[in-house]
Amino acid sequence: MVDELELLKKDWQKREADLPKLSYDQIYGMTWKKSSSIVKWIFYISLIELVFWAAINIIFSDSETMEELKALHIHKVIMVLNIINYGIILYFIYKFYINYRKISFTDSSRKLMKAILKVKRTVTQYVWFNLIIFTTYLIINMYGVLLYAPEGQKIVQAASEDGNSFSFWAMVITISVLFTAIVLLLIWLFYKLLYGILLKRLRENYNELKKLEV
Amino acid sequence: MNKELEHRFVTELENNQNIVHKVCSLYTNDKDSHNDLFQEITIQLWKAYPKFRGDAKFSTWMYRVALNTAITLYRKSKKRVQTQDYDSVVHRIKANDYDETEEKQLKLMYDAVRQLGDIDKALVFLYLEDKDYSEIAETLGITEVNARVKMNRVKNKLRTILNP
Repeated sequence: MVDELELLKKDWQKREADLPKLSYDQIYGMTWKKSSSIVKWIFYISLIELVFWAAINIIFSDSETMEELKALHIHKVIMVLNIINYGIILYFIYKFYINYRKISFTDSSRKLMKAILKVKRTVTQYVWFNLIIFTTYLIINMYGVLLYAPEGQKIVQAASEDGNSFSFWAMVITISVLFTAIVLLLIWLFYKLLYGILLKRLRENYNELKKLEV
Repeated sequence: MNKELEHRFVTELENNQNIVHKVCSLYTNDKDSHNDLFQEITIQLWKAYPKFRGDAKFSTWMYRVALNTAITLYRKSKKRVQTQDYDSVVHRIKANDYDETEEKQLKLMYDAVRQLGDIDKALVFLYLEDKDYSEIAETLGITEVNARVKMNRVKNKLRTILNP
């Protein structure tokens, strides 16, 4: 029996004549079209993310908010946090750019996949960084409100007059931890889904190639 | 980018377009996605062309970029996955070209290849194109030994699909 694969090989090479033929102009037109590759999508999504979080920051740092923060005695901490925040955002912009530049399409498949997954990792890090910063802002704000805002002081006072200030604080902490956890979980799920869909096949292929290394 | 470079690129791609068509025919199942992938590969080739220094043959370099695009960069939509469309390029078998059993066998073979994963398909493709193991290894980024092992596995997989 002739080996099927040899048969297939012969047929495959015979079949060149059946392939479509594009003209010079058709190909020329294609060089001007936009790419729709995964890398491009990831890059766009990460840019949107960058802008989104930066916008949130700017919206919440107008002078009125600053006055309020001063009243809550937390403006200094928030200022420091802002500076750290912007510094790290700059670092991430640089990282995104470097990662993107590094993806060269002439590399081997495995190298290319690795580079793309690295882009994804940077995005994940960026998202986690934002979640942590966001939570920190939230906690500092809550602390300020409870200790210095008139409404907050009233609540704290009422609780201590009742003689159960310990259980009051325990409750405040529990509720805020729960709340933060739920928000974090939702955002994490969202990203898992977003990048999971984009990168599922790529990760499978990468793992398949990586398996060979062992 | 300058005109002369673009002219050179388009001419070379026009002369070597078979390679890209063959990759497209393996990784897509209908005409629309074939054209889609062809376009994406063209864009990636053009983007990478300034870095192509001519130390490798243009065609060799094309294999790599085309496969990389098909395996790693191209986003398949759902409808493209696993539909058996006999109208696709590799399936356009002219009935009088082959005797019946051979034709049947080939049809089964092509179907079997289509059922493989992205990486396995790339291996089979390079095998069908008569590439040696060093080139296969370099394209995929694995060692030659690994390429050999993997190829044997794929061949066995194909044989099992064909002779259950």
